[in-house]
Amino acid sequence: MTGSLQLASLLRRYGTFLGFLLIVSFFWSQRPDTFMTTRNWLNITQQVSILCVISFTMTLVMVGGDFDLSVGSMASLSGMIAAVLWQQDVSLFGALGTALLVGAFGGVLNGVLVAYAGLSAFVATLGTLTIFSGLALLVSEGKTIFGRAIPEIVGDFSRGGIPLAEGIQLPNLTLIAISILILMGIVLQHTVFGRNLHAVGGNREASLLAGVPVARLRLIAFAVNSVGAAIAGLMLVSRLSSANPTQGDGLMLNAIASVFVGMTMSEEGEPNLFGTLTGVLILGVLSNGLTQLRIDTYVQQILTGLIIIVAVLFSRLSLRRR
Amino acid sequence: MRRNLFILTGILLLALPQFLFAQSRTVAVLTPFLAQPGTQLMVEGFEAAAKSKGWQVDVIDTSGDVAALVSRMEDVALQKVDVMVINVDPSQIRNGLLAAKDAGIPVFGMDSGADPLLTANVTSNGYVMAAETATYVVDQLNGKGNVVMFIFEPYPPVQKRGAIAESIFNNEPDIKIMEKITPSFDRGPLEGARNAMEAVLTANPAKGSIQAVWAAWDDPALGAEQAIRDAGREDEGIVIVGIDATEQARDRIAARGNLKATVAQDFNGIANTVANTVEQYLKSGSVSRSQIYVSAKLVTADDL
Repeated sequence: MTGSLQLASLLRRYGTFLGFLLIVSFFWSQRPDTFMTTRNWLNITQQVSILCVISFTMTLVMVGGDFDLSVGSMASLSGMIAAVLWQQDVSLFGALGTALLVGAFGGVLNGVLVAYAGLSAFVATLGTLTIFSGLALLVSEGKTIFGRAIPEIVGDFSRGGIPLAEGIQLPNLTLIAISILILMGIVLQHTVFGRNLHAVGGNREASLLAGVPVARLRLIAFAVNSVGAAIAGLMLVSRLSSANPTQGDGLMLNAIASVFVGMTMSEEGEPNLFGTLTGVLILGVLSNGLTQLRIDTYVQQILTGLIIIVAVLFSRLSLRRR
Repeated sequence: MRRNLFILTGILLLALPQFLFAQSRTVAVLTPFLAQPGTQLMVEGFEAAAKSKGWQVDVIDTSGDVAALVSRMEDVALQKVDVMVINVDPSQIRNGLLAAKDAGIPVFGMDSGADPLLTANVTSNGYVMAAETATYVVDQLNGKGNVVMFIFEPYPPVQKRGAIAESIFNNEPDIKIMEKITPSFDRGPLEGARNAMEAVLTANPAKGSIQAVWAAWDDPALGAEQAIRDAGREDEGIVIVGIDATEQARDRIAARGNLKATVAQDFNGIANTVANTVEQYLKSGSVSRSQIYVSAKLVTADDL
């Protein structure tokens, strides 16, 4: 009996990961020559790298019991600000730094509204989503910036990487995602801040009574997340060699979906980085594999949505059964 | 959990029959704009042409997401399709074009811009489209009158149109360009043009002081028409022309008001030319020209 309970618990924890492996094996069996190749996997890591960065920092906010709808428009805004500054001959790093500062400022604004002014995260970040999105359109006058305005090195960055073998390289964008993963892992697991943030997310009242600076922690989490969104926005500019005032908007829903899928991989249903990574990879592998299988793109969307629901639903059911 | 896996497998198996019928020539058509009517017409036209040539066509639409389009280009490059056809600004998908180049897959533009990484691009000639409407105005005015121009310099494809129309008007000794206006985009070009036209009408109150409005695209033409109607000057015979043949512009032209003409891109012609160019490339390994123009068509009330 205990044995089967343990097995059930294991399955509950790693069920989503097993599902991921199943999806991978399926594509592998269908496209043996192209899917399970180093080249394709490096492609996938590059394709998901931008979503990864935003999802990893979103995990931080969600560990603290909040969430942030403004990340997508912040990504658009930061990219747009850098591009506009480059267009006006500001130096490479001057523009990058300003974009990141805007990210930090936006995050602090979110944090103040939610943690200090007491607005719900939904309302506050819905408001800032609209503000950031309007600002992106305002600074760009609604136009896409491309061509010579974007420094060549910016576009080249996303095409570069660390050479692994003949014609194969670990893409720079993937490296950024890995760095953020490691950084967030250390912050969440090995710092007082991370442990306290878990406590805040678990029980805000109890944390407050125990003397944890709840509001400050939540504010920092929002600020970090927004800087993450700004980094993602800059990665997007590099990948597209252009900036468009709405190009990051789609990232928000996918980031939240990834964290939710990842939450199914924790016994208590808490957000966790390994889970988020699995969530992002499921989304990335599905797009990549289904394209290789030549499935209609709209069918792809439906399948992706179904799989997210099935994963979360299953973990709910099994939690209830316990 | 087993049930979970079972469901997942089931979902994936459902999709299986779609890819069991692989054929020799595969063309991937990639665009983020399939929801746009023009793109839709081109993609449908291309699919029909490809079908008659016996090719397998995969249409990939990323619903406005250009970054996802780059990812999908990398995927189909790895999948070794024979040809990619894109409908998107090539300068924004450089990474995808380079992935195709690395894989040795030719990429054709279907009404995209010119780019050295494209084997060929088929599109309408912006210069010719502008010439069509400008000469229409000259003809309607019998070579004599005052013209208000709505132009937009910052966007190269629209800037071209203005340059051509201007030189045509300047070449007519009795035609005078009385205003060159760049409409404000704050509340959309239609509203911007309307406000600007109201100002022009107020400054020129005499009946018959304005003979024509030439607009570089349809929105300002529609805005100018509204301003003329609101000012109660629709009976002065002011001729308005636009470009692009949007649904709204066609409606107004059919209503036989002041908006008299616009230019429609021949989307089906573009699609067929792309298909023929691809075929030529597959047979001979080269194309005769890398930038190919398909004629656009002047649309007046008689065509609607």
